[in-house]
Amino acid sequence: MAIEIPKNLDGLPTSQRRFVGRRVRRREDPALLTGRTEFLDDIKLPRMLHCAVLRSPFPRARIESLDVTAAEALPGVEAVVTGEDARRWSHPAASSPDGWGGHCLAGDEVRFVGEPVAAVAAQSRAAAEDALEAIEIEYEPLDPIVDPFEAMKPESPLVDEAKGTNKMLDRVFTWGDVDAAFDAAPHVFRESFRWNRVGANPTETFGAICEWDPMSLELTVRGSIQSASHFGLGRAAVFGLPSNKVNVIATPHGGSFGGRGGTRCTDVACLLSRKAEGRPVKWIEDRMEYLTAGGSQAWDRHYEVELAVDADAKVTGLRVKLVDDLGANGEPYGAICAAKPLAAFTGPYAIPVAAYDLKLVATNKLPSSPYRGMGPPPHFFVLEQMMDIAARSLAIDPAEFRRKNFIPKDAFPYTIPSGNEYDSGDYEQVLDRALELADYAGLRRQQVEARAAGRLFGVGVASAIEPGVFDWNAYAIVGLPGTGVPEGATVNIDILGMISVRVGFAMEGQGQYTLVSQLAADYFGCELEAVRVVPMDTQSAPPSFGPGGSRLGVAITGAVLGACEKIRGKMTRVVAGLMQTEPENIVFRDGKFGIPGVEGASMSVAEVAGTMLARSDLLPPDIDPRPEATHVWTAAGRTEPDAQGRAKSYLTAAQSVHVVAVEIDPETGQTEILRYAVVDDCGTRLNPVVVQGQLEGSVAQGIGAALYEEYVYDDDAQPLTTTYMDYLIPTVNEIPELLRDEVVTPSPFTPLGAKGCGEGAIHTTPAAVLCAINDALAPLGARAREVPATPNRVWNWIQEAGDGNQTPQGEGSNG
Amino acid sequence: MKPAPFEYEAPSSVEEALRLLADPAIETSLLAGGQSLVPALNMRLARPERLVDLGRIEGLDAIRDENGALCIGAMATKRSIERSALVAQKQPLLHEATGHIAHPQIRNRGTLGGSMAHADPAAEYPAVAVALDAEFRVIGPSGERRIAAADFFVTYLTTALAEDEILLEVTFPERPAGEGVGFAEICRRHGDFAMAGAAATARLEAGRYQDARIVLFGVDATPVRALSQEERLRGEVPSEALHAEVAAAIGAGLEEPPGDQHASPEFRRQLARTVSKRALEAAVARAAKA
Amino acid sequence: MSPTRIPVRLRVNGRPAEGLAEPRTSLVDFLRDELDLTGTHVGCEHGVCGLCTVRVDGVAVRGCLMLAVQADGAEILTVEGLASPDGKLHPLQEAFAEEHGLQCGFCTPGFLMALHELIDDEPNPSEEQIRDVLGGQLCRCTGYAGILRAVQSAFAKLGASPSTESGA
Repeated sequence: MAIEIPKNLDGLPTSQRRFVGRRVRRREDPALLTGRTEFLDDIKLPRMLHCAVLRSPFPRARIESLDVTAAEALPGVEAVVTGEDARRWSHPAASSPDGWGGHCLAGDEVRFVGEPVAAVAAQSRAAAEDALEAIEIEYEPLDPIVDPFEAMKPESPLVDEAKGTNKMLDRVFTWGDVDAAFDAAPHVFRESFRWNRVGANPTETFGAICEWDPMSLELTVRGSIQSASHFGLGRAAVFGLPSNKVNVIATPHGGSFGGRGGTRCTDVACLLSRKAEGRPVKWIEDRMEYLTAGGSQAWDRHYEVELAVDADAKVTGLRVKLVDDLGANGEPYGAICAAKPLAAFTGPYAIPVAAYDLKLVATNKLPSSPYRGMGPPPHFFVLEQMMDIAARSLAIDPAEFRRKNFIPKDAFPYTIPSGNEYDSGDYEQVLDRALELADYAGLRRQQVEARAAGRLFGVGVASAIEPGVFDWNAYAIVGLPGTGVPEGATVNIDILGMISVRVGFAMEGQGQYTLVSQLAADYFGCELEAVRVVPMDTQSAPPSFGPGGSRLGVAITGAVLGACEKIRGKMTRVVAGLMQTEPENIVFRDGKFGIPGVEGASMSVAEVAGTMLARSDLLPPDIDPRPEATHVWTAAGRTEPDAQGRAKSYLTAAQSVHVVAVEIDPETGQTEILRYAVVDDCGTRLNPVVVQGQLEGSVAQGIGAALYEEYVYDDDAQPLTTTYMDYLIPTVNEIPELLRDEVVTPSPFTPLGAKGCGEGAIHTTPAAVLCAINDALAPLGARAREVPATPNRVWNWIQEAGDGNQTPQGEGSNG
Repeated sequence: MKPAPFEYEAPSSVEEALRLLADPAIETSLLAGGQSLVPALNMRLARPERLVDLGRIEGLDAIRDENGALCIGAMATKRSIERSALVAQKQPLLHEATGHIAHPQIRNRGTLGGSMAHADPAAEYPAVAVALDAEFRVIGPSGERRIAAADFFVTYLTTALAEDEILLEVTFPERPAGEGVGFAEICRRHGDFAMAGAAATARLEAGRYQDARIVLFGVDATPVRALSQEERLRGEVPSEALHAEVAAAIGAGLEEPPGDQHASPEFRRQLARTVSKRALEAAVARAAKA
Repeated sequence: MSPTRIPVRLRVNGRPAEGLAEPRTSLVDFLRDELDLTGTHVGCEHGVCGLCTVRVDGVAVRGCLMLAVQADGAEILTVEGLASPDGKLHPLQEAFAEEHGLQCGFCTPGFLMALHELIDDEPNPSEEQIRDVLGGQLCRCTGYAGILRAVQSAFAKLGASPSTESGA
């Protein structure tokens, strides 16, 4: 049945939208506010055991001996597993790149501090931790591989001997004649940058309750899992189970931000359940485990960047060289963060050619995980600093330099050198609004006065693309195959006209259940409360990937509206039959089917549903009698990547401009954000308050990344950042009030014209804050090239500049 | 992270608590507010065999005036100290420092005695005690004794308290009239442990320093009193240049400031200079001009 | 030898409650595991994030930094005690819903309980006092803007009169 999903809000069959695009209270809130929502750790199953994991204290060591008999004998301990059980009962995990995954418990060597080596299931978590202390284990420590540059040298010891190298990937991608562009350019700017590990840190850590049924050989996993179906297929592969014998029940998450990996310890809990004869085993990662050994760390990067600029101040080429320290394996799929920049490599600028020299390196640190924004936040940090270096050198205002180089608004859809296509945008309008909102001219005047008084006052203007609605081909270069990320919804209308929508994902905070209700309620002309959203487990759910890559808002809109359209089609045929006319004569609007101009020829949705369910004798013979339909949405037109990784991947390109004013205290290196203005364009805003909330949260994470958050390792690859005393999540007092405005350039490609926006501002915020800091430091000749720009670092940069230790900024001679 | 197992006693008298502490057979720790001890227990960094909870002993939390001196019981919470009009009036430095400690949710349970006995190098209270010449009233199996603040903080997380002694009360002698107090600390986020901090007092006469006290925290294993600089200030006219000199000397005088993720030794030295200057400036601004 | 468990008797949300706890069991674990009051969440167990905040004898405390046995005889208020039995939300909860002060909701009970004490304590708190309390609670989703709007709205609704309504 051919259906057409509305491309904009006016396409909904309602004369007055009451919910979509408007401010509505979230359906999720009453249960959350009263503590009734059932999160994973709230679940108690009969005979459930609790898991604690013994973890390696060494980054690299051989395990000389391991004896668990004393632990097994302790009262209250029901099962203990080691690497032997893992090899007997499971396969190595999948990874990105391929072939860099291992078993969930170490065998005869450990490769990172925190690597699981054994685990206990006991009556309580405390008892399980006590039992860990009874496990006898001897290690022979080896010299750890800490520095990715050392790791790449041929004489370096190997993280994984079997791989023969520490380079997980080493490729140069060339898009266009980059050498020619750089050779011809009158101005070439070069700089190096360092971005240190930061990561998701949702307030709820990861966890799972695993039940291995020894009779039916079925595995049930409950967990705060982001992509349940994907996760289930992964467990099936690891345990050699048929895919229909693994059922994943995703519980509501206490936040996610991309880091809900945790596959190793989920698999450990599965092994424990198997060993405990099928008793459910609950594993809850505690915060220290999360920080040191969980899906907590991302973006350990060393950059060298070059920008070519012509005589008209147009950027003619971009070269990015990246060494990305991915840690000890590729299991958490952190590598996809190094691939995602292809989706928006040249940002909002019409840069015609580019090159990406990408090295993914293994070391004995925690395997790197995804984090909100994936790779672009560091990528745009470096690109935006280069834009400012060029602008400063050419004595052009940084906002105007960007304007000159923006992709013009009549150029969309626009294909960038790395192959992706941006759907729509009006970057100049966003820039103008942001400059006005921030009173940019006023800030520059303030800066003149401040500088005259010797104060370090800086203004940064940054713009980035926030790609939305990912597809796997964006990550093809790190080994992810294929295209197609389905999201399905089953809409059902009962005999009294009440609506249920069955979906395959759990709540994560973005208000998706409310969005589903808004869509169904506006479509069928009923109240929000008449719609019930029912999350299903993976065995029962429609095909679903769930949240990720800023896709779910768009994808679930497509799925829900598609299903609604299918029901409308069926009901139209039913009504046509009942009214003895042709389906083309039936109009559906505001919850009613009728023949225009014929009085009394009107049936409500509830009446039609009631008839379909109660009076099958009245229905056309070939019709499916249920007022129910499933629709699966995935982005159309995604292409296979070519040899240089070019493909149409992320479907939408939201864009924003951030203007930030800072003052730096030269005595303490502390940065105070004095003004923060942001204007964003993410197309149609389906629930404006939710979109605003995503932006506000994303800015806060961006400020955390720019100024506060960092995972530090010592020279022996020991993690030093082990508690919340050292990993500094911003509190309310670190986040400035936001001046905010929006531009709406709908997407021509998506349901209702919405663009993905869940990751949002974090793409741009670190860049904007660092641009402001560099602007503040410029009169001193000091440069901020490392993130986070902690007070210590900022003070060091000021001292170095004073000592004359910094080489002249950025520009290299050409030719 | 769950603690290792321990036994628990909640005596209702100091005598009973002393008796429990004195038992050599069971390694015992005292539990006051728990805001420092319980995280250590949770991480299994502290593993006592028994906890003796002082929270059920009546009368250990009083805040009272004793002939002008301010006596505060060891179990007085930081919340009660913060809200005490007596403290605000008689010991403004203590009052100001208290507001900088963590957040209200921690101050609700954290105690004066707990902070003093824990002796974290980055904590505010030990430095304030040294700056104000506080006296510690302590009880043990052989009776009571008093320890001057200058002698109380021995080294990193270590005080002059013996293993079988309990801190009962801290006495802050009456402050001279016209004194100004200053407090400065540099943290990554408001409420975090200070990377460096300073507590200062100043008294002026005829526009010159008559007396000054500067005590730094977070820059060594215990509070650091800048004695030589205090002497240098006597008789001098307060000025920006003078304070900068004093601050530089204080920084130079620090043997080996600690280094960690947040501040290298050199950066900490810089912060020590900054807080010294700022605390002194604040104290001078508030001192009565005679 | 199985661990010694001590009886703990207290009042929670206005009703008597009792259970057994090892000496090492934290108050928040006791509330969640022994009394099945899972509305209070655990975020760090180091006393930093504030998710486990409950009111004990009126004051807001970190439930992970208090032992259950220390709460014997105490009066505890948790998030489950805020709304009235018939489901009417407390003005604080209303304000959070109205102003989008929560996204995933995992940190929300901690904020609500810390703010609940502030409302009782200070009917007209200063910006500084509000930020001092809020600064002790972490949120990763909202960036705090929605929470600040919710707090302003809640205090405006409650006017100058402190509310001791717990609904329980």
